[in-house]
Amino acid sequence: MTLSVWKYVLRRLLFMIPMFVGISILVFLLMYAAGDPLQIIIRGNPKILQNPVFLESIKAYYGLDKSLPEQYLRWLWNFLNLNLGNSVYGGRPVNLLVGAWFWETVKLQLVALAFSLALSIYVGILSARKQYSKTDTAVTTISIFGISMPVFWFGIILILVFSFTLGWLPSSGAYGATRVWPSLKTVAEATPTELLVDHVLHLVLPSLVLTYANLALYVRIIRSNMLEVLRQDYILAARASGLPERKVLYSHAFRNVLSPLVTLVGLYFAGIVAGAPITETVFSWPGLGRFYVQATLGLDFPVIMGITMIIVVMTLVANIVADLAYAVVDPRVRIE
Amino acid sequence: MTVTIEKRRSASQWAVAWRRFKRSKVGLIGLFIVGVYAFIGVFAPFIARYEPGSVQPLFEGDARQPPNWKHPFGTTSEGRDVFSDAVWGTIAAFYVGLGATGISMGIALVIGLAAGYFGRRIDDALMRFAEVFLVLPFLLIILVLSRILALAVGAGLGLTIIVLILGIFGWAGNARLIRGEVLRIRELEFIQAERCLGASSVRIIFRHVLPNVLPLIIVVSSLLIATNILVEAAISFLGFGDPNTVTWGQLLNIGFVNIVGEWWTEISVGLMLLLCVLGFNLLGDGLSDALNPRLRE
Repeated sequence: MTLSVWKYVLRRLLFMIPMFVGISILVFLLMYAAGDPLQIIIRGNPKILQNPVFLESIKAYYGLDKSLPEQYLRWLWNFLNLNLGNSVYGGRPVNLLVGAWFWETVKLQLVALAFSLALSIYVGILSARKQYSKTDTAVTTISIFGISMPVFWFGIILILVFSFTLGWLPSSGAYGATRVWPSLKTVAEATPTELLVDHVLHLVLPSLVLTYANLALYVRIIRSNMLEVLRQDYILAARASGLPERKVLYSHAFRNVLSPLVTLVGLYFAGIVAGAPITETVFSWPGLGRFYVQATLGLDFPVIMGITMIIVVMTLVANIVADLAYAVVDPRVRIE
Repeated sequence: MTVTIEKRRSASQWAVAWRRFKRSKVGLIGLFIVGVYAFIGVFAPFIARYEPGSVQPLFEGDARQPPNWKHPFGTTSEGRDVFSDAVWGTIAAFYVGLGATGISMGIALVIGLAAGYFGRRIDDALMRFAEVFLVLPFLLIILVLSRILALAVGAGLGLTIIVLILGIFGWAGNARLIRGEVLRIRELEFIQAERCLGASSVRIIFRHVLPNVLPLIIVVSSLLIATNILVEAAISFLGFGDPNTVTWGQLLNIGFVNIVGEWWTEISVGLMLLLCVLGFNLLGDGLSDALNPRLRE
């Protein structure tokens, strides 16, 4: 990497700082507009009120005895030290909770991404190659249905069909499918292989839903970009020189679809931590998105603050990485 | 071919667009679907048999019935007639779809026009501002805001809270699109001619630039309405919507809670929602073919 690239990265990183502070103050203030955090803690555990000493120690524990700016600075300092505070419910450290949910979400998202890319590249190229053919029409029709279908509803239909009617796949959670493994009493009794198979079976439906949610957009972008590339003269030249069609399509034409694809994947990575709150909720997947929904419903402010800011940081970083990757796959793009 | 174009030159921009739109089967289907839903929404009081959210069927001994002649979409365990509530939900969907899109497009138009027309510093500042909104995790922010605002303002505002949030957070992408279009139009010869004649910026923007971005605005509006209806359904499905308004998302939430053995709510309301969103998406596609100047032969 040349100097200008580092300069670019540095400038973008510096731009992140005011953005981070601005968004965090905004979310912080919003949390306080929702109501006194102390009241939420008391609602979760009314016994606190009976003991004034305990009440004071709770206040001190969450820093609620300080002024608002002080509380924010305390939060910021803790965040920079990678300490996200404690959950209002039960007082467990947010770091621990997020750490546990994070990997479940990432796993699910990566599987979905792999499926989405493989399928959309294949389908997109297929339909671009035979524009206005029956395949192409079918693909465009399905993709417009795809963007019109609520993601959660597709998940529910899959549950109805594959879990409730056919009984093939588990409908919720990530581990321990008694429906699929009736012989299995507890997770402790299972062999490692059985556990793995069980986990993979749990992954199928939610990752299918996420794949479907991405597919319409991905196919659209790949198809339209391929159509444009296939009209170029150099493709004609490649064909005229007698190259096999496979080679023309996949190594000559597809190379030029990579840059929009990189942007898409970059955006996907940015959203990966945000998880798929809807899909995770439908399938009770123990990931970040589902717990975010629960924390928001319960106004568990340290969890909301923590997850929101992690996501903002990841999004900002992923945007920079996507810009850099864009320049790598497309030599015409210069970073200045 | 050129001859026919010569003849039609006298027709107005909109007449030409309509003629092109009529040729697009997809657009006509979309228009028809949207028309049917608009009809259902307007005449909801006459179509729905029960009041919104009414549990009257419970007292008639009809709770948890699969679809039948009296209750075409069945009834829920609490005794709500799914068909009536799905009809009432149409009003909510249109309110959110049109309301939020109106607000978003208003903001996008002002920012897109200003950024594209004035350029330089203003453009830089406005596009950075838009970037902030694009970077925000949209759904998560909306969930937090709808929960917090509902508590802070109280339930009095009802669905309007969702309309405002979706409206205020949904403009950034379209502002960019409009800016791009304005950048292109600004450099066209007739604008430069107008500028040479001494026309003010205000006159150029409102008399010349605005009418030329209008086709783009109509197309993206239709698509944004579809998105907003979907997002509202998701918000209500997750339990963040207005509990006092009957919406499709709310019905889907109720149906999901009782999904074991009570499949009909999910299927019927889901299809109703899917078809409505599909209508707006198809309409948008048809409009895009008819209005998008870059796709014209």
